[in-house]
Amino acid sequence: MNNLSQVWSKRFNHYLTEVQKYMRFVFTGHLAIVLVFVIGAVGYQYSEWLTVVESSFPAEWLVAGIVGFVLSFSRPTTLLKEPDQVYLLPLETKMAFYFKKVLQWTFFSQAGLVAVIYIIGIPLLNEVTELSSTKIWLGLFLVITLKLLNVHVEFNFRYALRGKWVLFDRLIRIIFSILAIQTLLTDNYLLAVIFVLLLFFYNFIWKKSENEQPIPYEHFVKLEQNRMMAFYRFANYFTDVPHLRGGIHRRAWLNFIYTLVPYTKNNTQGYLVFRTFIRTDDHFYLWVRLTAISAIIAAFVNIPAVILIVAAALSFATTIQLKYALLSSKEFRMDLLFPVDSNLRTKAVQKLIRTMVFLQAIVILICSIGQPLFYLPPIVVLLISELTYYLTKNPAKHLY
Amino acid sequence: MAVLELINVTGGYTRKPVIKDLNFTISQGELVGLIGLNGAGKSTTIKHIIGTLIPQQGEIKINDITLKQDIDKYRSSFSYIPETPVLYDELTLKEHLELTAMAYGIDEKTMKERASRLLSEFRMEKRLNWFPSHFSKGMRQKVMIMCAFLVNPHLYIIDEPFVGLDPLGIQSLLDQMDEKKKEGASVLMSTHILSTAEKHCDRIILLHDGRVRAQGTMNDLRQAFNMPNATLDDLYIAMTKEQDNE
Repeated sequence: MNNLSQVWSKRFNHYLTEVQKYMRFVFTGHLAIVLVFVIGAVGYQYSEWLTVVESSFPAEWLVAGIVGFVLSFSRPTTLLKEPDQVYLLPLETKMAFYFKKVLQWTFFSQAGLVAVIYIIGIPLLNEVTELSSTKIWLGLFLVITLKLLNVHVEFNFRYALRGKWVLFDRLIRIIFSILAIQTLLTDNYLLAVIFVLLLFFYNFIWKKSENEQPIPYEHFVKLEQNRMMAFYRFANYFTDVPHLRGGIHRRAWLNFIYTLVPYTKNNTQGYLVFRTFIRTDDHFYLWVRLTAISAIIAAFVNIPAVILIVAAALSFATTIQLKYALLSSKEFRMDLLFPVDSNLRTKAVQKLIRTMVFLQAIVILICSIGQPLFYLPPIVVLLISELTYYLTKNPAKHLY
Repeated sequence: MAVLELINVTGGYTRKPVIKDLNFTISQGELVGLIGLNGAGKSTTIKHIIGTLIPQQGEIKINDITLKQDIDKYRSSFSYIPETPVLYDELTLKEHLELTAMAYGIDEKTMKERASRLLSEFRMEKRLNWFPSHFSKGMRQKVMIMCAFLVNPHLYIIDEPFVGLDPLGIQSLLDQMDEKKKEGASVLMSTHILSTAEKHCDRIILLHDGRVRAQGTMNDLRQAFNMPNATLDDLYIAMTKEQDNE
């Protein structure tokens, strides 16, 4: 018992530091700024809409539907690792203790999201329905109870059927959860209790069949790996995740760009850098994403100051992220042995960044035509990029 | 004239040296085998020669020039085939060849002539536009070999060349080395395939515990170990036993 408790707490701490390490970058990254704008705008629209919403609006169904749907995503965070299939095998009968911790953490880490979604729905319920505030808060209690049930059912179902039929299970839970919330919000308490009890019973069936089975390590390990991979991929939008190798694609339709670096000895690094940028998904989509956000803001927001701030911030982000991505490398590459000037790499990266920022400026110019001062954002983009390039340090570490 | 010259070279990754007081030379047109147990210091020696590690003491000269004296000239004098192929995931086979040729200042026409010969020799013509992710270990090794021979330098430094290559690939590599040798180039090759080393190397350097235990022709080594008629395998095992007795 003691051992497994240690195993869990060690893994849990390691997991938390890993998540914290990357979340720091997420909350300081450029998308965070965009998110603040988006949340602000959506919140404003929502409060405006509440003043005009009609009393016949099916608020109970909408809240029950959204919350029920989100409730069904209750994947267990097992923190199991591949070697566990071998090393934890002798502890099979004692693993119940470990899984108890797993279920606790899964519940606590996921309950917040559904609670927040329900709470966002409360102003709507207040506006449209006649529910007393006690009943509305009773609804929150029900949502949290349903979350606990969903977490247990999903775990037991995956355990019992070893990862098969999970979509079918999710559908059943969506239906039960929606019906339970909807009936409670429409004052049918008895029905609500029956739906919750049915979910209890449903859980009981799988729990019972679980007891007759060995732990489905293969399924749980794969699930856990996918979960971490999804997290790393998400974090990779904001910072460089070392053990994540992004995809490579030829993108032959962009081959014409390589004519910028003709065949000469001085273009050796340019030849490499331009291809690395175009074909590495991480680098290429970074540029596409930042340019697209800037362009959308330029096209649809009618406040010049906002357009300028976003264009400047994203030009800064494009420049600094590409500079770091293309200049800092700790791995051995053959070009480190090439008999060429060691400045060539830096020059090539600068040329690439200039080219791509210039294209970004053109896209923004096209999108902001019609706006007052439409010529300003592209100029700011070019200016900020140059300043960023010169005022930040060169991360290139020469091996020798 | 010595193409490669190591004079009292001591070095390693940390303060603690892995190779100690190495002295050897390789002359023009010579194929020299660097032989030793795992951890004897073969790859470390090679890393010092190519310049990814700097000696703590001593000097390494290629064509009488050290890395410090003229880095470009030093680097263009050799080409290197690492133990594990190091390729760019984002470049095709053709682009690996082009990039290498550009770096070593080879004009396009010469590059195309040399490349087409190498491609047919290593049977890789049909894979010109492939990315390395589709290559097997042996094919990746062949890309490295082709890039090295495309440069046509004075000195080839080859680390464990036969691992992962099919028999035809091994034969092609040996043929290429023989051809270059005839043209006056030198080769330093580290390997564990002793029978091949014995058959093809002009001289052998036996590395043991970071030091040169013995060097010379097969006959020189037999004398040093006092084992007439011994094969390189026998000598290698004798050296292992010597280590056990220490």
